[in-house]
Amino acid sequence: MTVQTHEVDEHLRVTPITISPSTMIEWTKPEPLSPLVRRCVESLEPGDYEIYDEKLRNFLEEAREVFVRSGVTGMLRAGDLIVAVYTANGDLANASAGTYLHCVTAVLPVKFVMHKYFTNPSVGVRDGDIFYANEARYGGIHNPDQMAFMPVFHEGELIAWVAALTHNPETGAIEPGGMPVMARSRHDEGMKLTPIKVGEDFRIRDDMLDMMANFTSRAPRMQAIDVRARITGADRLRRRIVELAADRGNDFVRGLLAKLIIEAEDATRRRISRWRDGVYRSSAFIDTIGPKSVLVRGTLAATKQGSEITFDFTGTSPENDGPYNCFPHIVAAHAAVTMYAFQFHDLPVSNGALAPFNWVVPEGTIFNANPDAAISSSPMVNSLTVSVVQQVFARMMFSSEDRDQVTGNICCQPCAPLVAGPNQYGVPLAEVDSAILNTDGHGARGDRDGVDAYGFAYGHATRAPDTEDTELEQQFLRLYFRLRADSAGAGTHRGGMGTETALCIWNVPFAVWTVYAMSSYLPVTLGVFGGYPAASAPGISVHGTDVLEKLRRGDADIPRDSVELATRKAISGDYVFEHSNRPVRPALEGDIIVATTGGGGGYGDPLARDPELVARDLRDQAVTEWTACHVHHVVVDPQTFAVDENATNAEREKAREQRRSRGKSWDEFHADWEQLKPPEPVLEYFGSWPEGVRETPLARF
Amino acid sequence: MKIQITENLDVDVEARQWCCHHCGTSLGSADTNYKQGCLVAAREPDEVWQPHVDEQVTFSYHRDWCRLVEFYCPGCQWLVEVEVLPPGHPITHDIELDLDQLTGPVEGAR
Ligand SMILES: [Zn+2]
Repeated sequence: MTVQTHEVDEHLRVTPITISPSTMIEWTKPEPLSPLVRRCVESLEPGDYEIYDEKLRNFLEEAREVFVRSGVTGMLRAGDLIVAVYTANGDLANASAGTYLHCVTAVLPVKFVMHKYFTNPSVGVRDGDIFYANEARYGGIHNPDQMAFMPVFHEGELIAWVAALTHNPETGAIEPGGMPVMARSRHDEGMKLTPIKVGEDFRIRDDMLDMMANFTSRAPRMQAIDVRARITGADRLRRRIVELAADRGNDFVRGLLAKLIIEAEDATRRRISRWRDGVYRSSAFIDTIGPKSVLVRGTLAATKQGSEITFDFTGTSPENDGPYNCFPHIVAAHAAVTMYAFQFHDLPVSNGALAPFNWVVPEGTIFNANPDAAISSSPMVNSLTVSVVQQVFARMMFSSEDRDQVTGNICCQPCAPLVAGPNQYGVPLAEVDSAILNTDGHGARGDRDGVDAYGFAYGHATRAPDTEDTELEQQFLRLYFRLRADSAGAGTHRGGMGTETALCIWNVPFAVWTVYAMSSYLPVTLGVFGGYPAASAPGISVHGTDVLEKLRRGDADIPRDSVELATRKAISGDYVFEHSNRPVRPALEGDIIVATTGGGGGYGDPLARDPELVARDLRDQAVTEWTACHVHHVVVDPQTFAVDENATNAEREKAREQRRSRGKSWDEFHADWEQLKPPEPVLEYFGSWPEGVRETPLARF
Repeated sequence: MKIQITENLDVDVEARQWCCHHCGTSLGSADTNYKQGCLVAAREPDEVWQPHVDEQVTFSYHRDWCRLVEFYCPGCQWLVEVEVLPPGHPITHDIELDLDQLTGPVEGAR
């Protein structure tokens, strides 16, 4: 499997590793600088880096725009993408990304091709080649995320790589939607392409396109168009790099790309150095593995010493026979969505920023599963990573000049409803509702509330598409889509609000739907320093409704939010209340699917919140009277929203009194606490209690 | 000298003690978990999130699955930290500082 590296010029070499899902993470470290590239970096003139870093960023933005305008899937239009440029041996130099996940994982297929195929005469790497990949075992996240990548040649020399990647919500798996909840092994998950050549001489091979369309025959149009979009985006970037090389020379391009990586590493190390040395720990929990509601734990101990950080995930739950598993590089990618967006947001998006990080991800856990494990819901199980990484950074960074970056958790309980089937124009479609996916609440900060409906923790720059557009294209009408009261974690500053929507199947006789979601029974979006977690996500749907008649009659009692829908039941029908993660099932026209995103985590003691802010939240329907009273202990007139200061002080004194009386000493508390344990069905996939070590062997066929 | 470590916690460097940032009450040796020096209470989810329906899901979380474990300063009852844990799950030692490196404010820190 290893290539003979002595045949390859040093600057094109990739550090040999054992190719396996559990070791691909080793390639997230930048390659050693070769003498040639070091000379290229040193020959940059003053101002070159500053000017051409900006120019390169413009190339990336242009290529991204071309990519988005060439494609059709909602996820692409919502910004779930990356356009990236790499060194000739596969290190990421810079990117324009709507999600930073792929800043980690899209590196690996490029390095794989250089490692395995560059000198292999049956494949090779030539000018005009087009490569493609969507297999997590070779570096991806999960197979909906498909990547096109091309070598950049100038004057016969390989000087760089470019890539474009976005999510395709259909993979030909056992369920529509690309994230089959019922998958039991990789063999249930549909099309998985190892890094493969799909075009030569700048032409896409039709036989390859036909193969992919055949794999994804539930929605072949999306696949066929967006493969071209990925390649079009990557090729625009390739052409700009070639123009740059023609203008300034190949060594200039090599030097510029390497310098971006060096600068990112240096700046990352400087920043880490100014945080307090120590060990920072967090555990977070989710309540599903897809087909079953069970308890799963993610545990992180982050050891920060000098300019290095070791992330150790020992204690994380054992792998399972559902799709909520992944591989170590996928964990690193989910840590990176936080790091590139916040802690290191102002640095080049390069894997230089990953150089100071070491990873311990024990085999046999959900984060380092067997190569045959189903992993298509890897982004779902990594809500644990997104949660615990934010928690440890908050504690690591507070006592430094980076305190302004400390927040309660950005909502990390994804909610993605997916509706599949012919739309009102008869076009087969399997599409996520990106409107609800991309309107999570941001975490609260030390000096202000979190941003309402800010976006998506996994995709910092993704957005909700236009509601009219989604109703035109997809198989539903929205009864409401709004900020959700009480969804944010309370605190001295509250998290940003999440949203809620009710999708009514509309203008089609039937559709198939599923919702990828979590946090119905316990929260994964946590607060910090006394701030509370985000609110629960209930799974509600209504079947056999009279809503079509009600809308035709113009009834005034169409519900305006989920609590009203669920408690007044003005729409007749069968109401279902269940965990928010809902496997695929059919629906008829008029059926209603409720989906809710979480708010952000709170910051600081809710009892210390300015009563006027509570009154404002009440007026704005950000909180209910119940929360103002029971959580903030503020007395406010629900008509005028005037705060009664004396009554509030008295209520808060009472609340502190209650804390004094219910609070026990550590030992006294543990005497009772250690007697408790969740019921057995909750612990079915947890392993031993409370260690979380597998007790029975896992059978996977 | 005291160094602020979180919104609610200081470390008294000479005494190697955790202290409440708001009232100065000692929360025990900085070599150990500050939570050991706090008053501790486990609260039911329905105390913090209002249930709206009596169903399998309620709009609140489920007591079989989690508690909010709250840590109060014994001096001023400030909510120093809150942890989401399944009932009976061990408490997290979330901050273990390298005290020998903790000699003063780092450059630029407030
Ligand atoms: Zn205090």
